[in-house]
Amino acid sequence: MSRTLHGVAAALAVLLASSTAAFAQDPSGKLVVVTSFPKDLTSAFQQAFQKAYPKVTLEVLNRNTNAGVKYLQETASNNGTDLFWASAPDAFEVLKGANLLQAYKPKVEGIPEKVGAYPINDPEGMYAGFAASGYGIMWNSRYMKANELPAPKEWSDLAKPVYYDHVAISAPSRSGTTHLTIETILQGEGWEKGWRTNKEIAGNYRTITERSFGVPDGVNSGSFGIGIVIDFFALSSQASGFPVEFVYPTVTTIVPANIGIVKNAPNKAAAETFVDFILSPQGQEVLLQPAIRRLPVNPATYAKAPADYPNPFKDTSLGSQVNFDVEVSQARYNVVDALFDQLITFQLDGLKAATRAIHQADAALAKKPNDKGKALLAEARDLVAVMPVTAQEAADPQLAGAFTVERKSATDAVPERQAQVEQKWAAFAKDNYAAARKKAEEALALAR
Amino acid sequence: MTSLALTRESIARVRPGPAVAAVLIALFLLLFLVVPVVQVIFVAFQDKTTGAFTLINFADFFRNDLFMRSFWNSFYVSAMSVVVASALALPLAYLTTRFEFRGAVLIQSLGIIPLIMPPFIGAVAMQLLFGRNGTVNLLLRDHFGISIPFMEGLNGVIFVQSIHYFPFILINLSASLKNIDRAMEESAQNLGCHGFRLFRRIVFPLAMPGYVAGASLVFIKVFDDLGTPLLLNVNDMLAPQAYLRISSIGIADPMGYVISVVLIVCSLLALWVSALAMKGKDYATVQRGGGGLARRRMKPLELVAAYAVVLLILVLVLAPHIGLTLLSFATIWSFSPFPDAFTMKHYGTVFLESGQYITNTLLYASLAALLDVVIGTAIAYLVLRSKLPGRQWLDYIAMAALAVPGVVLGIGYLRSFYDVPMPFTGQPLSGFWLILVFALAIRRLPYALRACTAALQQVSNSLEEAAENLGATKLRTISRVVVPLMSGGILAGFVTSFATAAVELSATIMLVHSQSDAPLAYGLYVYMQSAAGRGPGAALGVFAVVIVGLGTYLSHVIIERGRRERGQDH
Amino acid sequence: MNHQFSPTSLAAGMESVGVRIDGVDLSYGSHRVLKDIHLDIKPGEFFAFLGPSGCGKTTLLRLIAGFNTAQRGAVTIGGRDISGLPAHKRDVGMVFQSYALWPHMTVRRNVAFGLEERRVPRAEIERRVDAALDLVGLKHLADRRPSQLSGGQQQRVALARTIVIEPKVLLLDEPLSNLDAKLRVQMRQELLSLQRKLGLTTIFVTHDQEEANTICDRIAVMEDGIVQQVGTPQELYDHPANLFVAGFLGTANVLEGQVRAVDGGTVFVMGGGVAIPLPRGVEPGAEGKLMFRPQNLFIRQDGGEPRDGHVRLVGVVRHREFLGASIRYAVDIGGQQVQVDAPHQAGDALLPTDTPITLDLAADKARFLRR
Repeated sequence: MSRTLHGVAAALAVLLASSTAAFAQDPSGKLVVVTSFPKDLTSAFQQAFQKAYPKVTLEVLNRNTNAGVKYLQETASNNGTDLFWASAPDAFEVLKGANLLQAYKPKVEGIPEKVGAYPINDPEGMYAGFAASGYGIMWNSRYMKANELPAPKEWSDLAKPVYYDHVAISAPSRSGTTHLTIETILQGEGWEKGWRTNKEIAGNYRTITERSFGVPDGVNSGSFGIGIVIDFFALSSQASGFPVEFVYPTVTTIVPANIGIVKNAPNKAAAETFVDFILSPQGQEVLLQPAIRRLPVNPATYAKAPADYPNPFKDTSLGSQVNFDVEVSQARYNVVDALFDQLITFQLDGLKAATRAIHQADAALAKKPNDKGKALLAEARDLVAVMPVTAQEAADPQLAGAFTVERKSATDAVPERQAQVEQKWAAFAKDNYAAARKKAEEALALAR
Repeated sequence: MTSLALTRESIARVRPGPAVAAVLIALFLLLFLVVPVVQVIFVAFQDKTTGAFTLINFADFFRNDLFMRSFWNSFYVSAMSVVVASALALPLAYLTTRFEFRGAVLIQSLGIIPLIMPPFIGAVAMQLLFGRNGTVNLLLRDHFGISIPFMEGLNGVIFVQSIHYFPFILINLSASLKNIDRAMEESAQNLGCHGFRLFRRIVFPLAMPGYVAGASLVFIKVFDDLGTPLLLNVNDMLAPQAYLRISSIGIADPMGYVISVVLIVCSLLALWVSALAMKGKDYATVQRGGGGLARRRMKPLELVAAYAVVLLILVLVLAPHIGLTLLSFATIWSFSPFPDAFTMKHYGTVFLESGQYITNTLLYASLAALLDVVIGTAIAYLVLRSKLPGRQWLDYIAMAALAVPGVVLGIGYLRSFYDVPMPFTGQPLSGFWLILVFALAIRRLPYALRACTAALQQVSNSLEEAAENLGATKLRTISRVVVPLMSGGILAGFVTSFATAAVELSATIMLVHSQSDAPLAYGLYVYMQSAAGRGPGAALGVFAVVIVGLGTYLSHVIIERGRRERGQDH
Repeated sequence: MNHQFSPTSLAAGMESVGVRIDGVDLSYGSHRVLKDIHLDIKPGEFFAFLGPSGCGKTTLLRLIAGFNTAQRGAVTIGGRDISGLPAHKRDVGMVFQSYALWPHMTVRRNVAFGLEERRVPRAEIERRVDAALDLVGLKHLADRRPSQLSGGQQQRVALARTIVIEPKVLLLDEPLSNLDAKLRVQMRQELLSLQRKLGLTTIFVTHDQEEANTICDRIAVMEDGIVQQVGTPQELYDHPANLFVAGFLGTANVLEGQVRAVDGGTVFVMGGGVAIPLPRGVEPGAEGKLMFRPQNLFIRQDGGEPRDGHVRLVGVVRHREFLGASIRYAVDIGGQQVQVDAPHQAGDALLPTDTPITLDLAADKARFLRR
């Protein structure tokens, strides 16, 4: 009995000695990553990484971006996560603002400052870009053929009557990538015009999905024809064999997808190793796999890519039109989400009815022109486009305060409650859409 | 002398055994149900600025168009799901209980098949088959130029939910029908009533307790369900609104919690209304004669019609499974009635990875179900046989779990257990996989409790008294007489808890802290998030259905064998 | 109970009809439950099917109601063959053993049910329901639920529910078996008086001979799917057709022996040489047994000669039961046991067991039964 015990103790001692020895040279132990990336991407990196560093056990926790941010915030008091790994830079900005990340300067050389007009790394080093993605339009070619639809090229194409009830998007409040798409249009075209475009496209929406993947999923299966998506969704679907195509509109941003080390990471050494690994040539090549299809941030990697692979470091038209301003985006992040939800997502029926009436009046007026009708139609369009808040108001911290509960002391004044603000906007949209529909119907009557 | 007698009497009145059991169960319920839920709903009553108690958030709720619309949509969808589920369940229950029908076994399996498929996976498959550009509509459009909006907006939710949850009505209604004294029906015939009138005026009203129990369960489940509307992109319903609010918009925005409270209150209301509907109608007489209704042979034409109805329902019920199976073998399935080609490779992909998921699922679901039947039996015994004061409350609180949406429970657990470090490792307690088992056990406890209570009600008190009279202690009596006699009901409770816990997602998704601890439902969810992952995801889904189905079937076989051995053949 | 009988409302238009059962055969699989039954029940008669459980009496009743189908034979009510009619068209009212009151309806709705099914106008329904409830004395409980009533009250509701439709025949399936002993006696009198008032042909199924004897005009005694004998209670008791009927109605002493010829007739000779004269028609050597009632034996401890027409038997008291009005002794005579009833007066001494005893049998009361 005692001999067995001795044996066990000896074995334990050897084990302990060897593990401490390993720790000195090589990272080891459990590495916990919270990510919004699909399994295809994470497991490819996981395999490559574990091959290079077999002593680290990589634990991948799948959350969508917003839920991931929420999770890190809720668990900050007793943090067990080492890395946060997701697309949207805004999400990292939120974490940075909440002081939940820690700085690290990757050891890898040869990564440029910018991709398109966008800086690859956070200036303060809180997070690093590892792959670039652009936003664009994806469609199902069988669906387009069956419904005799032309291929779209620009965002404004999606506002055309022919696409009515064929387009889909995910809600920006649910998907960090969609938020960037919307914000890109707003920054590219300006607040008023940008929202006009957004709402005109929205009038053609068939559905607004709850998850980012809901859009490519629907396009792939043919539930709807056209989706507004991040490029890799379309590229990987294509690579999987789905009859889908993708185009980058002129107004797009090439934005890096990022990785950041969480403050008080339990396994900081392994976390740093992982960051360096995914930026290394070995890691960057993983991005070229058909099921992943993201744009490497290391220009050298493109040498190994297929011929038609988009290269933002060569093709200067990609993403250089808009100079994406992260600070502007950050200041109105919640407001843009809430506006989109209240004016579009939850008023989609009213918006679609108005849009349909406008399309019909437009078609009728084209055949039988009528000045009064045209004026009415213009009024209807303006009623749809009008916003309850200006760009200045949207960036006002007072308003943003309604959406955050940084209640530092009990006496801090919060001007309005979120639910109140939302109800105001919703009522605004509902009334305007109803009025727009009425005007468009009047215009139609005049053209008969 | 008198004082001695008094002490003895009071000891006899409150035995230590039941009291200890009751306290333990109460502690469990308090820790894993009451505290987490209170943690969540507490926020709903807090002023956002001052943290003081307020009802302003509820005023906001009722003043908000979107929330009110969501509320009515949820109500409409739940009510319509009850209607459609009834339309599916009624003919089946009627056929099996009124006729000599060979398809009865088929119908019995119909009663469990939908439950062993995670509803969100079902929604994916149903979208492929019945969506606007799904198989059915593509074929209809090609051949007849029409399409049917099965899956448009709220229709889709109603369609998927009623197919998933109709077994609740079927099972309860059939049980109720079987318990009706044959004379009840014959006396009505004797007075000149027959056919459908007989069913409507006598048979159905007598089966009302079962129907109401099943229907209220369907109503509550649909009202609380999150996965299906989310997957169908229907956001303007209450459960999705709560989830969207809590998981994304403004971290501590109270509205998500307000909606949670509204969800809980509505579910409790539904339970209360169903109890009220049954009040004052003593159905005890129903079971006097027992023996079930007279069954008659069907005429050939009736037989054809019956099989047509059963087959139609069978096809509908199996549609998610058919869709899932097709998807799991499909190479590409895009805007076409059927996949372009078939392949086995998805199974190869998941085969290596699914082991962990499957082991976890079997471990969690069976532990949770075991916990459920132990606690269920204990509560049933305490409530029916002990004289402990307040024992009824154990039942009430355990049943209240029915009214707590999975998301609310998940968030409550995160809030309650995150800051509690585990002994030795120092990891947060909420990350410990056993917490997930507790969450599943709490979620499924009501099913097991009802099954155990029903089983104990059928064990006559005198059987127990006989054992005690022959010198057995209370504990020995319970273990040697009561539990063996209850075993049918206990196993039925185990099966229901096991099967439904194995496919649960809403609480799971909040509580999984590492992939190695993740169950199947979580794996499915992750797979379904990518273009390349749909095939393997579907293959994993097929594994899930087969494994849960096998588990359920095995327990069923064990129940039946046990029952036959004890000669309780009925 | 306050019976307000109103002939205009209930009995009006009710014409008593007879029930004929002609050669009915019924089997479940290979098991023959009813074997060639022939019965003729007269209009207005209170008729009983009496027999032990499993004898087929309930099956026969359910056959009349239309819940069982015979393989052969016919049932006619008032001259009309109803064999092919479904249960709901037969117009025979049945009161079930469990009463089968619907718990989801009030007493009033229960009673109104049959009339509603017959599309009787609403006003008339209310009037007739009131009358029926009045008849059974439950008008004040009309709005209660069945579960709020006592067993006797439930029984009356079941009765009211059945008679309100003015059925051609009333069928009662062990209607008193769920009541306690005292209530049973009261209810059977009420049943009888109700039946007499309505003049309704009634068939009553029971296993209790006392119940059948006290209220029925005629009884069909059944055993093993066969009608053993039909007759008034007195006929059955006094002249049982066979040993089964003799034993089922009252207590019977049955003795073994041989039939032998003697001067001027035949005698039944028991072990020990005692011979009991038999009536004409029993041929010597016939197989059978001698049956007589306990009250046909008289204890003669005075040593006098047997009276005229009596036969002397000698035995030993084995056992005794004190019944109050009488004492029943079990006496061993020559290896066979008989029961003797001795009237009892206060203060009389009881014979101890093992007392040798002399008994006289009234020979003309004894019956020779072949089976």
